[in-house]
Amino acid sequence: MKMGMVIDLEKCIGCRSCMVACKQHNAQPPGTWWNRVFTPGSHRHLTPPAKGVEYFLPVHCQHCENAPCEKVCPVGATFHAGDGAVLIDFDRCIGCRYCMAACPYGVRQFNWQEPERTHERSEYQEKYHYGYPREHHHDGRLVYTPLRPKGVVEKCTFCAQYRDKGELPACVRACPGKARFVGDLDDPDSEVSTMIKARDAFTLLPEKGTKPTVFYLPPKAREV
Amino acid sequence: MSGKMKCSLWGSGALFLVALAAWLYQLRQGLILTNMVNSFSWGLYISGLAFFVGNAAGGLVLTSSIYLFGVKQLKPLAKLGALTAFANVTAAMLIVLPDIGKPFRLYNLLLHPNLMSPLVWDVIVLNLYALASAIYLYILMLPELTGRLGWLAVKVENAHDFSEKWAKRIAPVALLFAIGIHVVTAWIFSTQGGRDWWFSPAMAPDFVSVAIAVGATVVLLAGALAYGTGKKYEEAYRTLGLIIFIATCVHLFLMMNDLVIHAWYGNGETHRIMEIAWGDFAGFHVFEVAAPLLGAGLLMLPVVRRSMPLLALSSGLLIAGVFVHRFLIMPAAYNNIPMTITPFGLPNTHWSLPIASGRFFPGLDTFLDQYNYSPSLVEVVILLGIMAYAVFLILLAVAKLPILAKEKA
Amino acid sequence: MRIDRREFLRGAAGAGCALAFGLKFFHFSDDPAAYAAEMEQLVRSTCSPNCTGACGFKARITDGRISTLIQAADYPEDSYNPRGCLRGLSMMDLIYGKDRLKYPLIRTGARGSGEFRRATWEEALDYAAGRLKEISGKYGPEAIASTIQVPGTGYVQKGALVALTGLAHWTMHHGYDQNGDLPMFWPMTFGVQSEELESLEWINARTTLIFGSNVIQTRLPDAHHLLEAKRRGRVVVIDPDFCSTAAKADEWLPIKADTDAALGLGMAKIIIDRKLYDAAFLQDFTDFPILVRRDTGKRLLAGEVLALAADARARTIPDYRRLFVVRRGHDFQILDPEKLNPTLAELEGEYEVTLSDGKVVTVETVFTALQKTLAEYTLDKVAAITGCDAARIERVAVDAASNGPLHIIYGASNYQWYNGDLKGRALSLLPVLTGSIGKSGAGISTYAGQYRIRFNVKSWWFPEGSKINWVPYLHFLQGKGPRYPEHGIKAMVGGWGNPFDQHNMNNTLKERATSGELEFILTTDFQMSTSCMWSDVVLPAPSWYEKYDLTATILHPYLQLQQPAIKPLFESKSELWIFRELAKRLNPEFESHFFPQLDENEAALKVIELLLETGGQETAGITLEMLKKGPVRLHSPAPGDRQVPFYEQVQHRVPFPPPSYPAPLKATAQFLRSGRIEFYKDEDLFLKEGEQLPVHKETYVETEYKVNPAARDKYRLRYVTKNSLYRVHSTHSNNTILLELQDNKAKVFLNPGDAGERGIANGDLVRIYNDRGKTRAYAVLDPGCSAGTAIFEEGWWSRYLGDESYNSLTYPWIKPLHEIYFVPGMWSPTTVWNECLVDVRRMKA
Ligand SMILES: Nc1nc2c(c(=O)[nH]1)N[C@H]1C(S)=C(S)[C@@H](COP(=O)(O)OP(=O)(O)OC[C@H]3O[C@@H](n4cnc5c(=O)[nH]c(N)nc54)[C@H](O)[C@@H]3O)O[C@H]1N2
Ligand SMILES: Nc1nc2c(c(=O)[nH]1)N[C@H]1C(S)=C(S)[C@@H](COP(=O)(O)OP(=O)(O)OC[C@H]3O[C@@H](n4cnc5c(=O)[nH]c(N)nc54)[C@H](O)[C@@H]3O)O[C@H]1N2
Ligand code: SF4
Ligand code: SF4
Ligand code: SF4
Ligand code: SF4
Ligand code: SF4
Ligand SMILES: [Mo]
Repeated sequence: MKMGMVIDLEKCIGCRSCMVACKQHNAQPPGTWWNRVFTPGSHRHLTPPAKGVEYFLPVHCQHCENAPCEKVCPVGATFHAGDGAVLIDFDRCIGCRYCMAACPYGVRQFNWQEPERTHERSEYQEKYHYGYPREHHHDGRLVYTPLRPKGVVEKCTFCAQYRDKGELPACVRACPGKARFVGDLDDPDSEVSTMIKARDAFTLLPEKGTKPTVFYLPPKAREV
Repeated sequence: MSGKMKCSLWGSGALFLVALAAWLYQLRQGLILTNMVNSFSWGLYISGLAFFVGNAAGGLVLTSSIYLFGVKQLKPLAKLGALTAFANVTAAMLIVLPDIGKPFRLYNLLLHPNLMSPLVWDVIVLNLYALASAIYLYILMLPELTGRLGWLAVKVENAHDFSEKWAKRIAPVALLFAIGIHVVTAWIFSTQGGRDWWFSPAMAPDFVSVAIAVGATVVLLAGALAYGTGKKYEEAYRTLGLIIFIATCVHLFLMMNDLVIHAWYGNGETHRIMEIAWGDFAGFHVFEVAAPLLGAGLLMLPVVRRSMPLLALSSGLLIAGVFVHRFLIMPAAYNNIPMTITPFGLPNTHWSLPIASGRFFPGLDTFLDQYNYSPSLVEVVILLGIMAYAVFLILLAVAKLPILAKEKA
Repeated sequence: MRIDRREFLRGAAGAGCALAFGLKFFHFSDDPAAYAAEMEQLVRSTCSPNCTGACGFKARITDGRISTLIQAADYPEDSYNPRGCLRGLSMMDLIYGKDRLKYPLIRTGARGSGEFRRATWEEALDYAAGRLKEISGKYGPEAIASTIQVPGTGYVQKGALVALTGLAHWTMHHGYDQNGDLPMFWPMTFGVQSEELESLEWINARTTLIFGSNVIQTRLPDAHHLLEAKRRGRVVVIDPDFCSTAAKADEWLPIKADTDAALGLGMAKIIIDRKLYDAAFLQDFTDFPILVRRDTGKRLLAGEVLALAADARARTIPDYRRLFVVRRGHDFQILDPEKLNPTLAELEGEYEVTLSDGKVVTVETVFTALQKTLAEYTLDKVAAITGCDAARIERVAVDAASNGPLHIIYGASNYQWYNGDLKGRALSLLPVLTGSIGKSGAGISTYAGQYRIRFNVKSWWFPEGSKINWVPYLHFLQGKGPRYPEHGIKAMVGGWGNPFDQHNMNNTLKERATSGELEFILTTDFQMSTSCMWSDVVLPAPSWYEKYDLTATILHPYLQLQQPAIKPLFESKSELWIFRELAKRLNPEFESHFFPQLDENEAALKVIELLLETGGQETAGITLEMLKKGPVRLHSPAPGDRQVPFYEQVQHRVPFPPPSYPAPLKATAQFLRSGRIEFYKDEDLFLKEGEQLPVHKETYVETEYKVNPAARDKYRLRYVTKNSLYRVHSTHSNNTILLELQDNKAKVFLNPGDAGERGIANGDLVRIYNDRGKTRAYAVLDPGCSAGTAIFEEGWWSRYLGDESYNSLTYPWIKPLHEIYFVPGMWSPTTVWNECLVDVRRMKA
């Protein structure tokens, strides 16, 4: 079993629902986003970089097979789960941020202060904060907690807390464009494997040799 | 102890304590007190690591070369070399602590070391180097550990011969470690394919050459401060000056070589790197080249070596230049987000993917594609405090231990 | 709280696939009981802002609070799953946000100062009732005006205010024309308020033409159907702006703003000239064969014709119908307005006809008259007016006519112009000519707001003795009009809307509030909106996760419940309770209508049952129990209860128009006296304006330039205020999660050329101004923005604009044609946001 994700850029409408779902379900405080959706080439989302040119690109952890973040982690806090997802053990991470230097995709986020304090910046009523409410252990390691300890690094977990229960990741469930798919890359007949073969799937920064398990299907050309 | 010495001890000690307090404050509040953000996640502290590692190396390189290659002229500076090495390598290890988000979990390095991680290698070599320099210092001091300090001495037959013999034996190992800490520290950066600015095989040899230059300068400066600029040490200083100059030239050569290659290839990313290096940070870059060159050049002149103020100025220039060089490890790697792509339909464009800052500033942008980092007060205080620690340690040792003891040779 | 079986099953099914994948570390959670308990805490409700989504959501409740929200994805057609968007997904930000209202408030400082004191419910309600009684006594009850927004999102709670308004004989403004959402071409052409395909039907179109509707952002949960339509056919976006919908289409036709009528007419001409139209359809379902008198411009009435007069007199038809004349073979014939049998009438022709008084006049068919009008819209001329390439116009027109079904989406921003009705009438020609009406995947749709009342609401909304004085909002703003109260409007009672940002054209509302002309303002909301800031009494309401209501939308035909996932926060009380309490205080007799013996939730459920029972054929057989299980399709005449407009009219030949709730049929049928789709309007004013048939008219001529000829040079940018991805109008303006996505800044999008001319660079803070008002925003140089346009994404609370409301620039223009009839929210003066000129300049920092 090797988890993989396919994002169809033809179907992606750039709506950023996956960003918000990810932020909300994974309790990311203000300023922290595991998942980002871009309008490539443009400084401003949904503003074309040139007349007649525009598409959208969601980027989160690419769950690299050859993950530099994992290799640099001095204490083995970043690890590959059995299904291929790259996870962080919040009980072990020492917060050296070496992995942030190492990740070519800029997906890792650091907890610069106590999460309660960061959440306070949103000024919610009565110390409210959102997010999947319980801790989650995978293989005995703490890979999700609603309030991350200050001083650790975090990133997309492929929604370990949901997948381990057989549910789909929040961004997949939330995508109104139906542009996101997850499945088994080891199975050549799975939906994701089929799409990857049939539609000229590509990965981000292949030249870095990280072997991402997140694949993108190219948007179709259009007349202007 | 002279009044000046006392004053300096108190001063540096106090500064160190202030830094300690700043660190405790930062421990409570989190690294939010620094000016780092997610897109610029290493700053002054890690620059400090590279800087101290550089300073540390020179000492032992010198000391060991005295025994290895018989550079006799430098012998008077041997203990000072080992001492500055020890002070700086421990400073290097200390400066990493405030950069760690969860320092109380460092025991995980022992419980779960990941042998693939260059950081683990660095921790190992730094520790070994600290140990090696301590032992070296001890061995060199051994003949003079008498009287009040006698209790410190191990019982050997002929302390002087023992010291000479072991100093010679340890020399190659020490040299290896000295080079090792640079190479490994450089590898922390230069293994990172994600960041073009670092991803270069020239980085490790460059680190070594910088280290020799700045390490020797530190010893030279310490020696001059301790022994003065009198005739007696002229020979030693001349040799040091030469070493410094050559090392500086090698460093500049390696650096330029790297820049030329980056610039020549000129893909989008290196373009941005060059823009940052020679655009946004042009002043700094000129300084990092000019200052060491000027400093090293001046140190070649006997007049300069003979005058304490001039010698201090030249060494200062070189050290400052190297410090800036260390600082500049970061901006061109972090200022610009390294993940650049060429969007469909826009050939010849290189576009960086903005990163969430991780720190929410109401009214400001959360997503950054460019961030101009400058250290916060807390970062500066902590770095100065660690520098003060090194000075304090050296001064204390000079005051209490037979570092400058009347030598015979 | 109920056990959510569906979710439970989904979890189990998921577990199945996880095992099938061989997920090594799969486990149900360490403690299955704990997992089950967690599952029990999921409650389904419906996201119900003033947006066309109406998306089902599931809230996870932890310790009495909403911890996560995710789409319910429980619509029976999987194509509708997962409905929802970033706004709905971050709704907790508003529910628990810093602007959440906690207690009733009574104003203590100056209006708009935001100074209030906390009051008890008793106190606030007594005070409000006292003031309302006083005003009613002084000026008459019609001096009190109430508004609700978009009834489709809250039949129960909003109905309570409508019922109170009727019982108390107050004035009411209809949200649909207030918002500018009313596309006036609908009643003119089809005799209805408006109609649309459900989004699942989009995929059955082979050609989709989108005239100025940013579907990708404004119909976000339905946008994937558009991409499916593209996969199966062709999607062309006609928009001055390279909006994200244009980016996703097969083709983008950049058009000069407000010239769509010319394009529509040009395309119609091509279709007619090449005989690509469906003649039988035109004969039977449109007014094209009807004869028009050359001398008067009026349609020829059977009663006027010598040969037909007697026959005409013998027939009885409803008041709202007329007997028109067509030519068949060599005879003139009466066109039966009550039957749509095949007519075999001549479509083209010019005839002499002898009238009863012996006079002989020339008549021609509407179709012939239309062709004469279209003669002006030659391809070259249309290309010049619209700025579109002639060859492309021709190709798109021919493609559209040859590849049916044709579906047109006509967007709000496109019709919110002074001559928006003309554009709609011109564009309607395309599906009508090609017979793309009343069929799956065919037609013209406008999707604006959730104004649409989908079933009979009389039992709850209009109790015995109810009388409402409907006054169009524009008449209120202009301070005059046919039903405008003698003493003016002295009190506003509102909820579900934020008029002080969204409607204060010319800052009229703020001026009237400051001057004291408005003596009392009562608002109920769940957060401290700008309108609450300007109110005298603010009453805290629950959000749609805290109460019961019924919701429906125009994008899909599902009836859904809002259900309390959590208790109403703080001291908030549902509107049904609020208006019941207010009613009781105004007149103890009023209370009985509101189920006084039941608590607020029980009463709401009771109302739902009542509405379902009395809703008519649309709700027949639907029960509360069914709705508690999930969304239920409303009934419609089309097979499978599909929402296909005019299905009955075309397939079963039932005369136009179908009824528009809540108006009685006669009110809307008077718009189509022939019982058919009408392009020819012969009311005097239409003739006077030269708009008996659709034509293209220039922008600003009757408005800005007429009022101030200098505006031509002084204000050279069109101020297009379109809807934002990050807000539903002003709702979510203060959403901190979504603010982060916008860099916490309001923006104005400018063509790089226009910006350059004014020395404006990306990111500069700029002033947007005209004679009426001003606002501010950060400039974005947008290569997709057409020259001469300043696009501002509407909906910002004025606190984010330096207290300078973006609607201080707009103006309540009224087109006289829209006052010929009056049926609230159906034929009524409608707001034209985009008919507005401004200029921009850099602001000194
Ligand atoms: N995200 C989001 N969705 C919403 C809402 C919201 O606030 N936010 N509000 C809902 C409501 S109530 C409404 S009314 C609808 C409105 O939604 P839409 O009907 O989609 O209206 P807009 O998004 O304002 O504008 C659509 C497009 O019209 C173009 N346009 C403007 N003038 C012209 C013109 O003269 N000709 C042509 N061809 N194009 C023109 C604009 O460039 C813009 O791209 O959205 C609904 N959906
Ligand atoms: N210049 C310009 N102005 C425009 C437009 C434009 O394109 N340009 N668009 C217009 C259009 S199309 C529309 S539809 C209007 C929309 O304008 P409005 O109908 O005023 O919509 P919102 O601004 O979203 O205001 C809705 C308010 O209701 C509150 N609310 C939500 N749910 C509840 C509830 O259950 N109970 C109570 N009591 N309150 C609730 C929300 O908190 C919010 O404050 O704006 C119009 N204004
Ligand atoms: S939710 Fe889906 S359609 Fe929207 S931005 Fe994310 S991937 Fe694209
Ligand atoms: S994307 Fe970055 S964080 Fe994720 S696995 Fe790859 S290197 Fe690691
Ligand atoms: S920050 Fe944590 S996860 Fe990243 S390298 Fe350091 S210890 Fe590993
Ligand atoms: S899989 Fe989960 S964690 Fe990863 S981006 Fe999607 S929602 Fe976020
Ligand atoms: S805001 Fe509108 S589209 Fe978004 S979830 Fe709510 S109802 Fe659906
Ligand atoms: Mo609307």
